[in-house]
Amino acid sequence: MALGGFNLDLFVSPVLPHSLKHLNIMSNQKDLKTEGKKAPEVHISSYKDHFNTLLALLLLTFITVAISVFGANLRSLSVFTALLIATVKVIVVAYYFMHLKYDKKLYTWLLIIVVILFVSFTVLTSIEYLNR
Amino acid sequence: MGMWLFLFTEILLFGGLFIVYMVYRSLNPEAFLMASFELNVWMGTTNTVVLLVSSMTIAMSITAIQKGNRKLSIQLMVLTLVAAVIFMVVKYFEWSAKIEHGLFPGQAVYDNLPPGESLFFFLYFFMTGLHVFHIIIGSVVIGFAIHRTAKGRTTKEKYTLTENAGLLWHLVDLIWIYLFPLFYLIH
Amino acid sequence: MTSKAMSLSYLQGKNGIFSWIFSLDHKRIALLYLYSILTFFITGATLGVLMRLELLNPGKDLMEAQTYNQVFTMHGVIMIFLFIIPSIPAIFGNFFLPIMLGTDDVSFPRLNLLSWWIYIIGAIMALSTLLWGDGPADTGWTFYAPYSVKTGTNVTMSVLAAFVLGFATILTGLNFIVTIHRLRTPGMTFLKMPLFAWALYATSWIQLLATPIIGITLLMITAERVFGVGLFDPSIGGDPILYQHLFWIYSHPAVYIMALPAFGIISEILPTFANRTIFGYKAIAFSSLAIAFVGYFVWGHHMFTAGMSGTARIIFSVMTFLVAIPTSVKVFNWVATLYKGSINVQPPLLYALAFIFQFMIGGLTGVVLGALAADIHLHDTHFVVGHFHYVMFGGTGFALFGALHYWYPKMWGRMYNKLVANIAFVFLFIGFNMLYFPMLVLGLMGMPRRYYDYLPEFHVPNMISTYGSWILATGLLLMFGNLIAGAWRKREPIGRNYWKTGITLEWQTLSPPPVSNFDRMPVLPKNGPYDYDNKPEIEE
Repeated sequence: MALGGFNLDLFVSPVLPHSLKHLNIMSNQKDLKTEGKKAPEVHISSYKDHFNTLLALLLLTFITVAISVFGANLRSLSVFTALLIATVKVIVVAYYFMHLKYDKKLYTWLLIIVVILFVSFTVLTSIEYLNR
Repeated sequence: MGMWLFLFTEILLFGGLFIVYMVYRSLNPEAFLMASFELNVWMGTTNTVVLLVSSMTIAMSITAIQKGNRKLSIQLMVLTLVAAVIFMVVKYFEWSAKIEHGLFPGQAVYDNLPPGESLFFFLYFFMTGLHVFHIIIGSVVIGFAIHRTAKGRTTKEKYTLTENAGLLWHLVDLIWIYLFPLFYLIH
Repeated sequence: MTSKAMSLSYLQGKNGIFSWIFSLDHKRIALLYLYSILTFFITGATLGVLMRLELLNPGKDLMEAQTYNQVFTMHGVIMIFLFIIPSIPAIFGNFFLPIMLGTDDVSFPRLNLLSWWIYIIGAIMALSTLLWGDGPADTGWTFYAPYSVKTGTNVTMSVLAAFVLGFATILTGLNFIVTIHRLRTPGMTFLKMPLFAWALYATSWIQLLATPIIGITLLMITAERVFGVGLFDPSIGGDPILYQHLFWIYSHPAVYIMALPAFGIISEILPTFANRTIFGYKAIAFSSLAIAFVGYFVWGHHMFTAGMSGTARIIFSVMTFLVAIPTSVKVFNWVATLYKGSINVQPPLLYALAFIFQFMIGGLTGVVLGALAADIHLHDTHFVVGHFHYVMFGGTGFALFGALHYWYPKMWGRMYNKLVANIAFVFLFIGFNMLYFPMLVLGLMGMPRRYYDYLPEFHVPNMISTYGSWILATGLLLMFGNLIAGAWRKREPIGRNYWKTGITLEWQTLSPPPVSNFDRMPVLPKNGPYDYDNKPEIEE
């Protein structure tokens, strides 16, 4: 399924049989925005950064479990808290492990829009059910 | 960028299941609570920790290749795979325990569960099953990344496959971060 | 490379079936899609003609009720999943997007080929349901639970076919988004892209984000059928309306996947045949994004009578009215484009004009259906059937025909017979409106949809409709026959800009294009893609 899909392109940089190179203009393989400038500095997260991120995540996990196991009377509030902490963890993973903090801002914006989209599906569906 | 776009589709894919979960939990709150007692919080927590660690190892493997350290990159990716195996072993024990108790859809105990509880278990097996499927795919992609790095085709300048394998792996982690409280921590 | 070798067209060069079905060239892949999609269109259209034959007279004419259910289900599945959703993006998007952006291929050519293969596999799966077991699904293309879970017909295979086809859609959308972001020729900013590219961009986002939802929903139906579990079964705490929510959360945005590329085609055809710049470029570009966005929030209007809460129904109705606004912006801009233009009446323009007329009817009847009070009476009647055929067939279908006639000389370096094309158009236009307008009337009179029989008072409009289907079928045969026959018409070689007034980049290259799309560096007009005041001089 999807595996075959993107895998085929990750293997080998697609070397096309022809490119516009023969017309003395740029081949479509290079990113047009960076052509002509020096290769941009790629941020390298240190091993320490990653380890600290893990510690933060483990701490949040511990808190979530503790609230659930020891805070049994919170009921509906505990769902909300658990989801809130889970969301914080997700943001941490995306921002640091997945490198969003150092990537083009475009990716962060796209992710935010996608999340808003999904949340609105959830909200609209909930409105439907809650008002029956 | 292509990989991020693919991740968006995965968010929506699992998202659909989360919507189903949310609707049915709100319609059957007591049943979901009762059913969740079958799940073992400590096994779930172990798996959460395992996946978080594996996210760190794969992120570190990218740092390693960026610094030109092929060997370390491979070792860290192998560690990630070890974590994946541990996750699946724990899952195996969890699932077989439930199947022993007859809770799989189609088995006798399952068929006689009160309304709402059967929904919980169906969603549990469906969602964790789909998740495990993605763990397997993620592991295979990491396997390809290891192979490419070993063969020297992944270099300090060009490590797209490793990056993409990492992104896919983080997604698997992200999904579990939500699955865990929703199934294991209803108290 | 000699300049002769450089100009080798994509149709020449490697020959043999394997060089085509394993080709990485976006143009060849586009033609693979064209031939397969049109084959399935003919199949689906035949099923439609059969339905109309059954409905010619009340009572049983040709088939049992059960068979009729299967026929309309297959008709829907084929037309929607195998024809309309892929059509314009997979054929013309694949062929022309890279060329219009001034580059030599899409970002991921291998993924592109894989998309086509996945499409073919899904198509075979869907069509295979005709051949075994209890026959094809009889649930309607909407596969509503609980019937879809219980019926003995080949629902599982149909649903899995749709799942597979969804992957093809997602991969195409992904490919186009990255192509548009990364591969525009230097100097072509987003706001200097042709409007067809904008349409494809908005469509691709819908393809990418909406399709997974139906993927998972269909997977749930499959799981239900395989494990005998009722996810949507109220007796165990489930809700059948939840299925409808999930189904339409995809399927409504899906109709914008169908419509937006068609809007893009019209935005390309009109400037060429009015020989002037499009009116309101930015408005049209951004309205595509607006339609894509708002279109995500209207799905409940398919479920007004299903049992949703009143609050939700009101919200969905309001959102439905809102989504009509950006579409009407486009219609006004198109008409303004024609105003004071130097109009050159050619076959593509005829289809574009028919589009505007028919899409207006379809769109306005959609607004009628969006009104809660009206929908209570019109839901599941033939009014709905008339509405969506006006937009999907009278709209997107005609836009597709227009695109075929518009880009034909470019794609094949040949030309069809214009007189026959015009005659075919007349048959199509008259046949189409005769076939579908009576349905609007029938719906208002109260005739339900998906019934193979009806009350005698509905007889006359049904007869008119069936006669219309015959005229339409004649038109289709004439049109396709003419286009195919063009392959054998040997006239003078087709130049780069056959219509003389084309301005987007595809009209600067050879007809048919060379394998790498351009034999000369494309020249961008100074002030945007439709800058007729500064049209670059292109010698042959």
